Amino acid sequence: MALPKSLQNGLTPDELTFLAEEDTIDIVPLFSMTRIRLLSGIYGPFQPPSAARVPLWLALSLKRKRKCRIVPPEWLNVDHIQALLKDEKENLEGFGMLPRRFIETSKVLLDVAADDLIQPSTLRSLLKDLREVRQAKVRLGLQSEGVMRGSYLQVTNLTPLELSELKPFLVKAMGMMQSLEPKTGEDEEEEEEDDRFDAGYEG
Amino acid sequence: MDDDYFSLNAILADNHKLSCTFTLDVPGLGYLEGGTENDIHQHSKIEMPFWLAQTLSLNEFTTFPLPPPYSNRVKSALNASAQSVKLSNLVGGNGWWYRWGRRIADVLDDEPQQELLNMLLRAFTNRLPALQDLSAHHASADHTLPETSTSTGEVFRDGMEGDERELFAIGQDSGRKAKAWYDSSNGRKYVR
Repeated sequence: MALPKSLQNGLTPDELTFLAEEDTIDIVPLFSMTRIRLLSGIYGPFQPPSAARVPLWLALSLKRKRKCRIVPPEWLNVDHIQALLKDEKENLEGFGMLPRRFIETSKVLLDVAADDLIQPSTLRSLLKDLREVRQAKVRLGLQSEGVMRGSYLQVTNLTPLELSELKPFLVKAMGMMQSLEPKTGEDEEEEEEDDRFDAGYEG
Repeated sequence: MDDDYFSLNAILADNHKLSCTFTLDVPGLGYLEGGTENDIHQHSKIEMPFWLAQTLSLNEFTTFPLPPPYSNRVKSALNASAQSVKLSNLVGGNGWWYRWGRRIADVLDDEPQQELLNMLLRAFTNRLPALQDLSAHHASADHTLPETSTSTGEVFRDGMEGDERELFAIGQDSGRKAKAWYDSSNGRKYVR
């Protein structure tokens, strides 16, 4: 394949962040402008102090030029993430459900628009805790029943970003397990059926 | 673990030496034995690369006992503590313990084949958590500090065989990439 090996395993975190920036978010503009037509749609009008809904990349770009205030999504506040963290710790079996672009969105918002969030440093440490709890579960999962029998690892509700970190390792490990799997009787039966089919075909 | 025709690792894994016993006289091939004799005699033992031994054994010109890296001794050591067995010592520094074992299993009959594959699979799954820990740890560790070679992780690292090494490198690489992303200041540098 022409792709370099590091890109063959799927999307990189940077690419996932790029995709996450297509999602829309509310901003309060600090300038007035009529509607604007972009490739992805028509946005505006921008009329402070009323909010407008724009793609995240536009919001970030405006924010960097100090032309808007970003309204954080409803899940990005200390109370909500504390609740998520609590659920994550109590639920030992699986992973908690997160918005699909949760990690990417929260990271870029914390990086670029920390002054629009409430208690950004607390948020940062809570998000880190959340990540660590989930990673510990992945680690435990590798010692679980499913992996021991060489069949599966439970990753329901992991976000694409977390999977991108895990995927290259898992794909190879699972591939090795599969090739070490003793051949069962079922395969042989299939072969026999094939033989019978071939014989019938000739006759 | 691919058996791809073009896989260099598969070719290298086929090069492990297997000690075989000939079941018949072969005239003119004495040089394989390394001696001065012209012929190979029945019951003589010769070390051959696996790719040669496989064909000869399938045609029943030779027989071989299970080689030492897969013996019962190793099996009980793996049962006792899979993570502390040094697989690299068994098959040489750049050996492929799993690959070679599987190639041997292909030649064996049903029952010993099942047994061997089960041993390989159990060893792999038991070593996997330690391997993952180690690769995750190395991805995030501070490499400016001198490493102590006494910790269990380092001992395990010395004992990894070819495919485990590869897996370790892959895990370390993706972990490092993820860490770099988390540490990056997404576009903060554009602020003027």
